[in-house]
Amino acid sequence: MKWFSSFGFQRRKNELQEEIDAHLQMAIADRVARGETPEAARQAAAREFGNIPLVQEVTHEMWGRGWLEQLGRDFRYALRQLRKSPGYTITATAMLTVAICANSTVFSWIDGTMLRPIPGARDAGDLVSLQRGERSFSPTPPFSYLDYRDLREQNHTFAGILAYHHDWITLTGGAQPERAYIANVSANYFDVLGIKPVLGRFFLPEEEARGYAVPSVVLGYSLWKTRYGADMAIVGKPIEIARHRVTVVGVAPEGFVGAMPGIRQDLWVTLDPLGTDAWRMTHRSGGAVWLNVVGRLRPGVSRGQAAQDLDTLMHNIVAAYPNDHLGDNRITLDPMWRSPFGANGYMAATLPILLAFAGVVLLLTCANVATLTLVRFVSRRRELAIRQSLGANRMQLVRQMVLEGAMLSTGSGVAALAVTSWTSKTFAWLFPPNSNPVALNGSMDYKVVIGIAVASLLAGMLCGALPALRSANAPAIEVLKAESASISGGSRNRRLLSALVVAQIALSLPLLVCSGLFLRTLRNLAGANLGFEQDHILTASVGLNGSGYSGDEEQVIRRKILDRVSALPGVKVASFTDWVPMTLSHKGEDAYPEGYVPHPHEALQVYHAEVGPRYFESLQIPILEGREFTPDDKEKAPRVLIVDQTAARRYWPGQDPLGKKLMVWGSPFTVVGVAKNSTHMMVNETPEPMVYMSFFQVGYETIVQVKTEGNPADVAPAVEKAIHEIDTQLPVFDVRPMRESTQMASIFAVIQSALAGMFALIGLVLAATGIYGVVAYRTQMRTHEIGVRVALGASRVDVMRLVLLQGAWLTGIGLALGLAFALGMTRVIAGLLYGISANDPATVASVVTILGAMSLLACYFPARRAMRRNPVSAIRDL
Amino acid sequence: MSEKDQYKNRIELLQGTLDMLVLQTLQWGPQHGYGIVQALRLRSGDVLQVETGSLYPALHRLERQGWVQSEWKQSESKQRARYYRITAKGKKQLASDLGRWERIVEAIGSVMYVKPEESES
Repeated sequence: MKWFSSFGFQRRKNELQEEIDAHLQMAIADRVARGETPEAARQAAAREFGNIPLVQEVTHEMWGRGWLEQLGRDFRYALRQLRKSPGYTITATAMLTVAICANSTVFSWIDGTMLRPIPGARDAGDLVSLQRGERSFSPTPPFSYLDYRDLREQNHTFAGILAYHHDWITLTGGAQPERAYIANVSANYFDVLGIKPVLGRFFLPEEEARGYAVPSVVLGYSLWKTRYGADMAIVGKPIEIARHRVTVVGVAPEGFVGAMPGIRQDLWVTLDPLGTDAWRMTHRSGGAVWLNVVGRLRPGVSRGQAAQDLDTLMHNIVAAYPNDHLGDNRITLDPMWRSPFGANGYMAATLPILLAFAGVVLLLTCANVATLTLVRFVSRRRELAIRQSLGANRMQLVRQMVLEGAMLSTGSGVAALAVTSWTSKTFAWLFPPNSNPVALNGSMDYKVVIGIAVASLLAGMLCGALPALRSANAPAIEVLKAESASISGGSRNRRLLSALVVAQIALSLPLLVCSGLFLRTLRNLAGANLGFEQDHILTASVGLNGSGYSGDEEQVIRRKILDRVSALPGVKVASFTDWVPMTLSHKGEDAYPEGYVPHPHEALQVYHAEVGPRYFESLQIPILEGREFTPDDKEKAPRVLIVDQTAARRYWPGQDPLGKKLMVWGSPFTVVGVAKNSTHMMVNETPEPMVYMSFFQVGYETIVQVKTEGNPADVAPAVEKAIHEIDTQLPVFDVRPMRESTQMASIFAVIQSALAGMFALIGLVLAATGIYGVVAYRTQMRTHEIGVRVALGASRVDVMRLVLLQGAWLTGIGLALGLAFALGMTRVIAGLLYGISANDPATVASVVTILGAMSLLACYFPARRAMRRNPVSAIRDL
Repeated sequence: MSEKDQYKNRIELLQGTLDMLVLQTLQWGPQHGYGIVQALRLRSGDVLQVETGSLYPALHRLERQGWVQSEWKQSESKQRARYYRITAKGKKQLASDLGRWERIVEAIGSVMYVKPEESES
């Protein structure tokens, strides 16, 4: 297009040249005919014609330009202007790139997690997750199969409701056993999500609750690729899961990883594939409450209507089976972006706040770049005024300047796009190794691109158009006059510059305060008393369940493991547990003191963990009353449990809990001990009652917990080897020091403080350079005035005071505004803080001091320079 | 008369009258740029000297406005030149320009030749 039009332009230019040549030829011919010599005739003709290039140029103007050509001209001009001041161009572009990139990176993380809660699902906005009972931060699966089925079949507001339960399992049958995350799902699971198989089929309604000798399985795409070599003919073939033969019936499409946000499911089977879980399928309470439920709203139905519909149904269910539904049974619905099940509960609490911080950084950067732009425009004022008096209309000038701003921000946007395509993928790095199949990462799709475009546009507007409109508003004559009369750059620009500096300080203060609070929180978290000793502890998971061993086999293997690992050199104590604290996971169960009749809507949920003998000893959790578990608390022995202080106070306030009985899963457990409270999920939790049960009675997963003499990591290979010596097919995984595992509990605090700290640092640098730039510029503009003052007898200290005072005023106003802003912002993050109040005076005071000192320091250098100027040369410098 | 004196007698063209003069010249037949300059000079008795710096931009502007059309032809002296020809639209424009011109001349004339006693009353 451009090539074509410039080709036409060239042709017209040649024609004009020819036309002018013809004109000259004819003039010469006439003159020669009148008797002049050819030489004299040529000279006279040329003289008569005048300035040929000028004629050509003016004629070119007449051809007119399309808006595109005009834009191209403006574009080239803007490019030339930017190239003329590379310092400005590079600085502004780099700053804007960093600021836009901060926004787009955080947004890409939100996009990849909260905005794409279930990759591959159709219309994820219509999906809601169902929660029964109390809302909590990381709830356990809330529904039994029968309750779920009643809700699914009797509701009037859902297009479909699915249910699933997932856990680790071992894939056997290959050369190497491999752990995979398997989900038991309702038959409509894929339908409700809107997923189509790439091979074969998904489950049929009649398969849902039936057991089969050889059950059907659906493979996830990546498992199909990695373990089964992307076998196109796999449908109908048998594979082995936990030593059971199953038949592959289908393969899920690429990218789909299941219905729980942030968690990767590798393969899917029906709810009771072997028919061995009949109890679970036919009861409504206790261990039969095991399903996570997600529903798809019918078109036009609101979440509130749906919740009401389900509440009515649930009410009927509770009325029909009151003993199975003690406690709170209200149903709440959450959109998937903030579903409490999976990662999004955490994401929703963290990422939007970080995005807000990034937004502040962008504003701050725009203010900084606008300052630079304004200073630059002021120094170009003369050029602009001359162009204006030569006939460029005001709109053209504004367009010119806006175009320069737009080019800067577009360049920054493009650079940010390139950087973000990499940084979006760094989200996964933030998570330490852990036992969950976490599938969290940023994503780079059209939404991020739109986000970058919007941010660039905003930046372009703020740092190009704003100063442009202000400058161009000034009438040309006045500008020209002002240029010669006043040295300080006109009061209108001075006011705008001051406002920009104030804005930068006011914006960076809340960033600094918030990051200060986050850092203090992090330190408080690290220094908190957890109630257990995590150093010198190694944990190793053994994939006993889900690998196809019988109960008796399991018990034998567990005993052997304990014997072997205990005997290893460097091992002080070996014990078992089926839960590691502070790993974002917990198990919950309803528990009632024997004979206690709960009120309706009263949930007596407790956390529970199954631990072996010497568990408390290893972790140095004091047993306040009674005893620890012993090897005699085994399957055939009476059921016993140890409660923590919170549970003891809750169930038997003011009484001796020892010997009391607690009903869990419908059977009585006798309290044999009281343990001191310790941290379960995260440091800043509200303590939930915890009951410990004997590992050898009801233990489920097998985690070996080893107390070591030295560094626990050194013992890891020996422990692994010892377990493999018992059975080479035993999967051993998640072998790591406890200190490493518990990092998961503070990971969001780390992410928050790391990013907020980074943003705050950017803010601090920008604010300091911003105020330095403006004060230096204004001082330079006042060189003459200062020279006069000194010549008239002002001392150097007076000069210093003059310049410093000007900076101090700006700083003061900025700090005051920033404090007000910070007060609002800290209220938003109050919920994320630990051990420190949102308005912590020490943090606020130190931030104000730091920022104030930085600002004054930034003013000091220009002040010193002004002070040292020789007044004579300063006056002459005019 | 020396060439210098000749120049003195020429007058600057009034803004907007060049278009009209060019269109009028083309009424007598298609002409090239040099021809237009010569014709205007001859018809005005050497008074009107059109600057080439004004003529060519004007010609190109008139063409863009659709009042003239151009084509390349051989001149009588075998010189290839661009000939401009007035269009119907150009003729209409000329008529309106002429009307406006006459009104201006009349208006200026009635101001300049006003009788003294009338102006005092």
